Amino acid sequence: MVLQLHVWGPAFGLPSLDAECLAAIAYLAQTTSSADYQLIQSSPSAVPTQHLPALYNPSTSTWTSGFPSITTHLHTHPPPTYHDPSSSSSPIAAVEPKTTTATLTADKTAYTAFLTSHAAPLLALSLYVSSTNYATTTRPAYSAVLPLPLPWTEPPAVRAAMARGAQHLGMSSLDTDALAQRAAEEEKRVAAEGWVAVPPVLRGPGGITKGVGGMLSPEQKGRIRLEGLAGEVLDVLAEVGWEEEGQRAEVRCLVFGYLALMLLPDVPRPWLREIMEGRYGGLCEFVRGFKGEVFAEGMVLPWAEGEASGSAVAVGTRFARAVLCDVPLIGAQWSRWWTARKKRQVLASRGVKTGSSGTLLLLAGTGLAAMAASAGIFFYRGLPPFGEAVQVWRKPITTLSGLGAAGAMFSGALYGVD
Amino acid sequence: MTSIPPTAPSSWRKMQIPRPLQQLFDRFPLLTYEANNLPERSQHLTSSDLPTLYVFSTDRDAGLGLPSFNPGCLKWQTLLRLAGLEFRILPSTNHASPTGSLPFLLPPRRRNTTTSSATPPPPRPIPASNLLAYALQQQRQQQTPSLDFDLDPDLPPRSQAYLSLITLSLRNAWLHALYLDPSHTPLLEQLYIRPSSSSRAVQATLLYQLRRAAAEQISSSSNKIVSIATVDAVDEEEAVYAAAREALAALASLLRESGSGWFFGAERPGAFDAALFSYTHLMMEYMSSSGEGSVEGAGGVALGDMVRAAGDGGLARHRESMLEAAWPGWDASK
Repeated sequence: MVLQLHVWGPAFGLPSLDAECLAAIAYLAQTTSSADYQLIQSSPSAVPTQHLPALYNPSTSTWTSGFPSITTHLHTHPPPTYHDPSSSSSPIAAVEPKTTTATLTADKTAYTAFLTSHAAPLLALSLYVSSTNYATTTRPAYSAVLPLPLPWTEPPAVRAAMARGAQHLGMSSLDTDALAQRAAEEEKRVAAEGWVAVPPVLRGPGGITKGVGGMLSPEQKGRIRLEGLAGEVLDVLAEVGWEEEGQRAEVRCLVFGYLALMLLPDVPRPWLREIMEGRYGGLCEFVRGFKGEVFAEGMVLPWAEGEASGSAVAVGTRFARAVLCDVPLIGAQWSRWWTARKKRQVLASRGVKTGSSGTLLLLAGTGLAAMAASAGIFFYRGLPPFGEAVQVWRKPITTLSGLGAAGAMFSGALYGVD
Repeated sequence: MTSIPPTAPSSWRKMQIPRPLQQLFDRFPLLTYEANNLPERSQHLTSSDLPTLYVFSTDRDAGLGLPSFNPGCLKWQTLLRLAGLEFRILPSTNHASPTGSLPFLLPPRRRNTTTSSATPPPPRPIPASNLLAYALQQQRQQQTPSLDFDLDPDLPPRSQAYLSLITLSLRNAWLHALYLDPSHTPLLEQLYIRPSSSSRAVQATLLYQLRRAAAEQISSSSNKIVSIATVDAVDEEEAVYAAAREALAALASLLRESGSGWFFGAERPGAFDAALFSYTHLMMEYMSSSGEGSVEGAGGVALGDMVRAAGDGGLARHRESMLEAAWPGWDASK
């Protein structure tokens, strides 16, 4: 049995469109022979951990998700051809001075955390928050790797998660979709409150604020702040020599995963690539060198077809689940219930007994409430209209007073006659 | 002869108000009271000769100047104490803060002794993001040569990577242990829930909201899709604590590498030390399975023990010396 690595599919000339998946693929490609693992195109809703990359090890029948957990799992349960690149000369590793090993391990932990907490939001700004880049590059890439109904549910969820992760950077102005939506809501509110507004016809295409500011894209307006944000992350990364073999292989793969997605995708607003190419030539060289070294031209990655995840029923279920999660009010409740059920399944598979959490009771209660509500609605609809039992409509009598000013004039004129 | 008859009410909107009612409403408002003065305690709470740092704390602890029980607040409290600034702390809540989060600092109100009638404008509160600039400015004004504490030393870029260990891994573990771990619910209620309100309904709502916010924080920090993420799943829990253990080991190794007892070879504790101390101190104080500060004896994850075990007690010693530096005579105050 071989390891199964479930990842997001390929895009932008890279084996995966997600940084952690890319890192996991690169790590496996470097450490394990391709006979020992399979890559399976997937999406978070198809794996039980709900997060990619996910590694399924048939020999222990466990699921591991997230890049750090996967590397730890590979260390503890190595496949037959696994060799740890950081201790390639393994007999000598024990003789090495202990401090350097400890320092390297500490650095590995620190840079992994740094990439997760700082590089991921920066990457999210470029590929997900920026509406133009998302619509032109990222969403098509997702659509290409997902079976049909899923592109309607999964990329928006990923985008929302990414945007939430990048919220603290305060660059939500890149998301022009949200801006347009907010402007439309504001307009509706103004109209509802009865204020006089400039009709949209007179406003022209650029909104009220025309001029230089209106001509610039949000990326151009926020360029100085974006340079600052990118500098905070890339300065720290550029200071380390990633080319050297002495660095831990895990963190090299992760750095490559994030930097490659910053540098290589062909986006219409390439501010991040411009910053990288302009100020951090070393990092660009590292990315290109690493790509040539690990994912060389003629190399074939062991892609395999997932059996269960491909069927129409499975895809339909995933789609229905995602749609249910998006229903207002009940969506959150439902996803929580589903999460709790999954958790109990995981616990049960490990032999931990958990008391039934009253799911049946909850379901019965919900069913009863729904039945009561529908009965109430049926009863209400069946009621006769309120008011008089017999309603009489008469044709209104046209009088002069009903004709407004003219009628008033005539009624005055006729007053004397009458 | 040309008297125009009153036009029929064109719509229901032009309803005639009966005259007596009209007269009655014309008299409103009957009386306008003067604005109430602020309560007496607000004077005491907002005016002092000392700058006031508002943190999460209890009345008793705040009076003694003891460490806050919120990591973010404790970091700044420690830093300001290390900087040798005179300030007092007062317990507060997020609702009181202009930015919506604690801590914030209120500079001393300038007393205008000559004209008692014209009260000086109240000072502007300083949010946490500007506290460092304020402390530096105060230090420059005081001109005390004895204070050679460098608030803003040039740390190597590598420190940013290690700082993210604190702000990501340790923070997630703290959030998970305090908010999501059921064995720490009594502690959570004692610290955050019960001081906020005495009403059971409000307490329950607050607990639910805090839990959800913490779960969302943890799951969005690892870029997971919140709506379908298994935030409270077993794997997630294990991953959070494993990451914290690794982070503590890495920080202990960094401390050992530094050699001077403080991070990055500094002679005096700095911002990085304060940031780490704010978590290690609270973990050891509140989440030890045994020992002096244990609130909850059994069950749950003993983050305090994790800190003690990291790097052969290096981080525990670091916490002791931080206490020594910032709260001289800490043991006596207990």
